[in-house]
Amino acid sequence: MKKVMYLEFERCIGCRSCQAACRECGGHDAKERNYVEYIDFFESRQTYPMMCMQCKDPACAKVCPANAIQITEEGVVLSAMEEKCIGCRNCTFGCPFGIPKFDFEENKMYKCDMCYDRTKYDISPMCASVCPSDAIRFIDHDEMMELRRRRTQMNLIEGKKPSQNDKWQYVPEFFGVYSD
Amino acid sequence: MTEFVTKPGVKNLQHPGEKLITTHCCYCGMQCGMHIRLNEKTGKVVGVEPRYDWPVTLGKMCPKGVTAYQTIDHPERITKPLIKKNGEFVESTWDEALDLIEKNFKSLQGKHGKDAVSVFGGVSMTNEKCYLVGKYARVALGTRFVDYNGRFCMSSAAGGFMKTLGIDRGSTLPWPELEHTDCFFMAGTNTAECHPTTIQWLWKARDKGAKMIVADPRETPTARIADVHLDLKAGTDSALANGMMHLIIKEGYVDEEYVNERCNNYEELKASVEKFTPEYTSEITGVSIEKLVKAAHIYGKSPRSVMMFARGVEQQAKGVDNVTLYTSMALLRGQIGKFASGVATFTGQGNGQGGREHGQKADALPGYRKIDNPEHVKYVSSVWGIDPSEMPKAGVSAYEMFDEIQAGNIRAMHVICSNPAVSAPNNNYIWDSFNKLDFMVVSDFFLSETAEFADVVLPASSWAEDEGTTTNLEGRVIRIRKVKDPIGESKTDWEILKLIAERMGKGSFFNYNNPRDIFEEFRVASKGGKADYSGITYERIEKEDGIFWPCPSEDHPGTPTMFQESFGTPDGKANLAAVEWQEPDENPSNEFPHILTTGRVVFHYLSGSQTRRTDFLMEQCPEPYAEMHPHLASKYALQDGDNVYLETKRGSMTVKVKLTKAIREDHVFIPYHWGKELSVNKLTNPALDPTSRMPEFKVCAVKLKKV
Amino acid sequence: MKGLERSFYSKASMYSFIVLMVLFFLLWMSTGQFTKVKWASSGYMIASIIFFIGMTIRLTAWGLRPATQQMIKRSFQNMKTKKRQKRNTKAIVTTLVDNIILQKYIFKRGIYRGVQHWLIAWGCIGSLAITFALTFNWMSFKMVDPSTFAVVVFGFETLKMHPESIFAEMSYNALNITSSMLLVGLVMAITRRLKNNDLKVTERAEFDLLPLYLMLAMTVSGLVLTVSYKFLSGWMHPQMALIHQITVVVFLLYFPFGKLFHLPIRPLATAVPMNYQEEVGVDTKNCIGCDELYSNDDQITDVQAILGQQNFDFEMQDGHKLSDYCPACRRKIRVMNHLNMPSPFGKTMEEPVQTNNGIHIPGFGRERNETFYEDVKGEK
Repeated sequence: MKKVMYLEFERCIGCRSCQAACRECGGHDAKERNYVEYIDFFESRQTYPMMCMQCKDPACAKVCPANAIQITEEGVVLSAMEEKCIGCRNCTFGCPFGIPKFDFEENKMYKCDMCYDRTKYDISPMCASVCPSDAIRFIDHDEMMELRRRRTQMNLIEGKKPSQNDKWQYVPEFFGVYSD
Repeated sequence: MTEFVTKPGVKNLQHPGEKLITTHCCYCGMQCGMHIRLNEKTGKVVGVEPRYDWPVTLGKMCPKGVTAYQTIDHPERITKPLIKKNGEFVESTWDEALDLIEKNFKSLQGKHGKDAVSVFGGVSMTNEKCYLVGKYARVALGTRFVDYNGRFCMSSAAGGFMKTLGIDRGSTLPWPELEHTDCFFMAGTNTAECHPTTIQWLWKARDKGAKMIVADPRETPTARIADVHLDLKAGTDSALANGMMHLIIKEGYVDEEYVNERCNNYEELKASVEKFTPEYTSEITGVSIEKLVKAAHIYGKSPRSVMMFARGVEQQAKGVDNVTLYTSMALLRGQIGKFASGVATFTGQGNGQGGREHGQKADALPGYRKIDNPEHVKYVSSVWGIDPSEMPKAGVSAYEMFDEIQAGNIRAMHVICSNPAVSAPNNNYIWDSFNKLDFMVVSDFFLSETAEFADVVLPASSWAEDEGTTTNLEGRVIRIRKVKDPIGESKTDWEILKLIAERMGKGSFFNYNNPRDIFEEFRVASKGGKADYSGITYERIEKEDGIFWPCPSEDHPGTPTMFQESFGTPDGKANLAAVEWQEPDENPSNEFPHILTTGRVVFHYLSGSQTRRTDFLMEQCPEPYAEMHPHLASKYALQDGDNVYLETKRGSMTVKVKLTKAIREDHVFIPYHWGKELSVNKLTNPALDPTSRMPEFKVCAVKLKKV
Repeated sequence: MKGLERSFYSKASMYSFIVLMVLFFLLWMSTGQFTKVKWASSGYMIASIIFFIGMTIRLTAWGLRPATQQMIKRSFQNMKTKKRQKRNTKAIVTTLVDNIILQKYIFKRGIYRGVQHWLIAWGCIGSLAITFALTFNWMSFKMVDPSTFAVVVFGFETLKMHPESIFAEMSYNALNITSSMLLVGLVMAITRRLKNNDLKVTERAEFDLLPLYLMLAMTVSGLVLTVSYKFLSGWMHPQMALIHQITVVVFLLYFPFGKLFHLPIRPLATAVPMNYQEEVGVDTKNCIGCDELYSNDDQITDVQAILGQQNFDFEMQDGHKLSDYCPACRRKIRVMNHLNMPSPFGKTMEEPVQTNNGIHIPGFGRERNETFYEDVKGEK
């Protein structure tokens, strides 16, 4: 997989297509693994999509006492293996981004696997495929870098200048897995 | 013909044992491309796959689109004809149902004349079916009372475009060109929620620096991303447009050459906008002067701009005026007929564009011909094989049909693909009218609120169970493919119409074996009309990714950009509008102090009869709510989640309050997708536009009470 | 203990040695000082010994993971705490009954899956237990006289019964019963794997399928053995016995290293009701952002300790750790950071939540720099 997921929260229109689409994905058992939330509906209709970063060194896997969270060779962090998961929810607390979901009924954790059956073949995941406002994209690494540069320029127009320590705040979210 | 088509280099996920069928969404006018996944063994629809290569939407879908397939094999589908006996629906055979229809239609027509039976059509179906509804009413039933739900949706835009441009095609430019536009002026359109897949084009343009001006009483997800949000009072669009034109003229942004060459009426327009100074405009609309000026500058300076509007400006008692004024705004800037610029309305219903061209309208015949024009009647009669004298006269508009029922002129009604019990204004009146009918037939695939009033419900097929064409919001004619056979004993609408026509003794005029036969006849019927489909074939649509009408011959490439040389008016010139400010039909008073406006949410479609049966969508938005500003809520001590009682002159309802600062302080907004006690249309105002006969859904005066 | 540990290469080798010694002692006891060793089943014996060593090494390695260690440590602490004895017992009993014996949570994932897993699990555990008991001679059967039949455990006669009683029948056929359960469960599992496309998304042949086919081979060859001596008067019996032995040996060697290793770690599930949630799904700790209940103090302490040990630095400017916030607040913090806005939970809350980074101004309220409209495209 050479492509990355690229999020631009601002573009989100709150339609929750990505969530509907997530349910369509193979192995997702008709449960969505991503989030669309209001920042504060009282103030504005700004929503944001949120999904797993597919960390290289995932905290969720490291806090799992059963060693149930596996990473594929492409770098996708999978849901807890159902046979190992003991249902302690450590992963949901360890994850710095609040991503893993937990099903008390079936006693298992489930999370975004980047539509492994699709991305395995370089086909865009369902959420990125359907997102009508391109808030979620599945793009080449180069294109992502290009977008980041342009975005930084846009921010500078408004007179904001990044300092040494907060440069990272001037680029939008991106993440993804790319094995080389 | 293959059922699954992609362009070279497009990868789709294909599961073993499954077939992909390339088609379009059943919901709004975007008609997003999609592939439906069909399990080959069980013959059941199992899911959806994005159609990355559809040039208009590039695989994008809204949540309705993603879940659309779930209605096809839905457990609540009607699979057998239902006959009401002692107030209960009883499953019956087709023969019984048709016998009953034949008996009642014939006896009522015998007693009260041909016009006693009426037809209420809809435009969420293919061109073939829409065309057939008009022919069915006029040939099989011989009634003049035929109209359709487009009166609640599109007719103001149609009327406005007819007046100014001479031809009503929803968009004068193809959608992918939007990427190259410099400025969008969007009035009364919540694109992000109602046509979400358009947003990608707006963002593409914005990435290149395009500006966006949105006029809406609410800070909708669309308005949120606007450069200037003109937060006008509902029902003041004509003042806003006049005010904008005042500034455009004053600041010298008018494309004089274009206006002189291609438009009439410039002097009259100038005179009429003279008094709409920013101060006066601001006073009427409630938008700050600063914003008006900024918007005028941005719009005026942009080399390429697109004027876009939707139901917000159209569903008013002056909807046609609003449309003509906004269109004139584009004309003043010389934008229509050029690359990446023009004027567009967002078609609400799936085939809202196609459906209104094919003679379902009370006064129209196929190809946008007029029933009061003897030449047109003569041509269409010859295609249909009837004598011109047999052609009924023009009928009345959708809402006025209910007046005719109350007056006793209409005794029976056949409702096809529509749910006026939810979607028509002043619901209480509509429900009462349905109860007054002697006999009522509904063709639908779910038991909608309207169907519950019927004496006979005929099980129709869903969109995936028949093939045909639709025309999307750009005016692009596209192909809907058949995914599977109709469920149970349900039949396609054209089969139903054909069966009834046979019972009425007109079977020879409905000699069709498949939708293609109808399409071939319709091509001939539309030939030479304004909406000329005669050069379009199923094969060409597939090969050329849809074809834009007018397309008068098979070697004609279609017309993606309209009005490049001249307009559709008799003299080829556009008519600029000179319209005075006119108040909405109903204004806040002491008794009803606030303005109620209605609209859609992204999770539901029109009367909700399909989306309210889809689990995902209902989880997201299970019931209507009253959205209001905390400032207004505090006057009534309303907290988020409290129940509020709303009342207008026509009706009342109780809903939960949802507080947000993203709405004007003096407005209340309620989405309209629910029926019965949850229907906001019990409250809405049926005041009709004088030209388009479209009701004023968007503005009425309301009073609130905490419950 | 530390001193003892130093005399070995590693913890794993120490435990392995202890396990070996115990096994040796048990064998010595049950075979009458090695006088009654059944050399024909020596393959089973050697494989079993390797199985135990493998299991010990794997369990030790697993127990050394910081996350596991932390959880086990707290479990032991709680077990020692007098005040918690009631809760501990309840936790152990409910986990044992609901989670291990009845496997209720799998039935909730689907009846089919529940039945399938239950049959495989108990068929497998039963067969293993009998196999070990027989190979190490921990248990055997003995005819005391024609009407009395005794079960011999570690060389001592325990239960005595009539050889034609139901219990006796069940004892002879115990292995047949467990292997039949296993067979049914396996057929169900393999059918599910073949039919369900969704499973194929993350399926790995060597991980998910190999154990199923291995167990199938073992079960079928074992049952064929029974058929052979009961109905076919021992036809092909020696060959089949050899094949069965080979499959069992491979299975035993594979067990500690593949998917089946989830069996010995399941008892850890006791830690959830014992340490964290006294009642399933009921939380007691408030999120410091939104004040909603989302976890409990002990668990967050543990998670933070585990993260700390592995050098994850999730501390925020105000000294709180990210795990002090509920998942929803953590998502919001991430978004606010990227939208160039201060965290909604910073020390000062006077400013309203800003929902736009200034590139696009919303209609209500804020103004934007006038020059933006002039210069942005650089052409006017």
